[in-house]
Amino acid sequence: MLLQILILFLVLIVLPVLVGSIFAGVDGRDSLSFRWVSGQLCLWAGFQAICVPMILLPRENSFFNVIVLYGVFAAAMLLLALGLCIKRRAEGWHADIVKEDSGDRDIAAFLLQGMVLVLLAVQIVLAVVLAYEEGDDAFYVATSSITAESGTMYEILPYTGGRTTLFDARHSLAPFPIWIAMLSKISGVHAAAMAHVVLPVVLIVMAYAIFSRIGFRLFRDSRHKRLLFMLLLELLVIFGGQSLYTAENFLLVRTAQGKAVLADIIIPFLFLLLLILLERLQQKEQPGAKYWLLTAVTMIAGCLCSTQGALLTCILLGVGGGCAAVCYRKWKLILPVAACCAVPVALALLYLFLD
Amino acid sequence: MWTDVIQVFQRYMGTGLIMIWFLAAVIYLFLSEKRKERRILFVYMPIILLLLYFNPLFAGLFCRLVGSEIYFRICWLLPVIIVIAYSAVCIFERMKGKGQVVFAVMTAVLIAVSGKPVYDNPLYTKAENIYHVPDSVVHICDAIVVPGREVMAVFPRELLLYVRQYSPFVCIPYGRNGWGIEYVGDSAEIGGFSDAMDEDVIDLEIVAPFVDARSCHYVIVDEKKEFLGNPEDYGWELFGETDGYVIYRNTKVPLTF
Repeated sequence: MLLQILILFLVLIVLPVLVGSIFAGVDGRDSLSFRWVSGQLCLWAGFQAICVPMILLPRENSFFNVIVLYGVFAAAMLLLALGLCIKRRAEGWHADIVKEDSGDRDIAAFLLQGMVLVLLAVQIVLAVVLAYEEGDDAFYVATSSITAESGTMYEILPYTGGRTTLFDARHSLAPFPIWIAMLSKISGVHAAAMAHVVLPVVLIVMAYAIFSRIGFRLFRDSRHKRLLFMLLLELLVIFGGQSLYTAENFLLVRTAQGKAVLADIIIPFLFLLLLILLERLQQKEQPGAKYWLLTAVTMIAGCLCSTQGALLTCILLGVGGGCAAVCYRKWKLILPVAACCAVPVALALLYLFLD
Repeated sequence: MWTDVIQVFQRYMGTGLIMIWFLAAVIYLFLSEKRKERRILFVYMPIILLLLYFNPLFAGLFCRLVGSEIYFRICWLLPVIIVIAYSAVCIFERMKGKGQVVFAVMTAVLIAVSGKPVYDNPLYTKAENIYHVPDSVVHICDAIVVPGREVMAVFPRELLLYVRQYSPFVCIPYGRNGWGIEYVGDSAEIGGFSDAMDEDVIDLEIVAPFVDARSCHYVIVDEKKEFLGNPEDYGWELFGETDGYVIYRNTKVPLTF
């Protein structure tokens, strides 16, 4: 049990934080939460690039090969992150992690922070102790269980256990359940426990980490406002059950399904990236190559989560990039925006071709 | 098509109050937000995305490509909760002293009243184990699974959703998909069989041939159910009982390796 927790801590927290240092500086201040999320997105994008070809060209031990190649990719990203860190230090970058300005520290801030943390804790505890009768889990969680046990990917029908006769392009091009199966395989935690307990805890915290970065950029001047912003967001999520279709509902109910990750991590992170882009343009600065690399990585990670991820991320980036180009008269922005959409568009075309 | 788009949006909005606050927040920011980058993000982009959503050409194309049932996902691109929270904090910023506290509390109450707790849903239950599947599924699957091979078993409808989440070694002749309907073959044979299994008195004359034809090694039945016919006459041996279910082993289908 302790070993399993340690492995998951290393794979889901330490590894992404280290890999995320590749994107140091994109968020201005180099926060741990930004590193964590951007690192995980980079790893998801790599997983997508490795896994989809393996599904399209099935061989013996495909899933095992995915795990090995993902390990190689993660190691390469770690080395790259280490190399960049050494380079930055040599160039005199004083610290990798800058402690954020804590701002006002009075009773009001203490109370607000307490409420934010309590509400977060409530969501995490309820994600662990409450089970939800979610019909789609019969497909997604069963797919993860099958893959972890059989080593095959999308060759067995999750609903019944029979052999697939037709290629399932819709699910095969967005293999988020295979990522869950990989975590299950390397940690030894059952895929159902991974999807219903471990990942909800991690992904809910990750979603709020993104909101906190957005809050930090919006309210740099006041800790009170940042905390109030977070508190209201938490309330809007918890009371987001007015419909089964809201992103808030998906965050708490279907947390480890790819579409929930798309709605509550990928899209808000793209929103954060657009905020960074617009602020840079406002200050007459260039976003830089790392920014566009992280945007492209986020778009590819969106494709891992859901086949609609390709479409939704392209629409969001297209509308945001288009608005920025028009409002700031920066027509050259269209080029990197189009480049970031290249992989999702290619995957969408592949889906249409295969379907 | 237009009706579909409106209906999908209505389903996404639910009561609609949160959407009203979102639109009010967009209007407030349109009137008060001076910073260009935030106007783009919180005013122009949501308006363009809403226009896109309600554009019949776009809606037609999207629905043709990926289906109208998931058109609501376009609404995920609207930064609904971010815009509401941001505008509320902007209003909070303009207030002074106790007015700020009153406004913050009122906003929190308004959110609680306008929305609905996600956890207020009858589909939520206390988790019985770390897998979040019923204990009965864990116990039954552990009992019937045979090392080194898969087994085929018929489960009661209420357990279908969980069986293969817990054990990929247990196969089932028909399952359940996201809409809660039976899966794999919409044949009258499966429909008739599953209906017969749902009856309070299970007619073995109907059920047993299907169980044999699908090479089912086990049949799991709610202990409250009765049979029309003697299970032993159909080759069903009592294998065990657990969590209110009775497990029968169909001896006509061998469990060889």
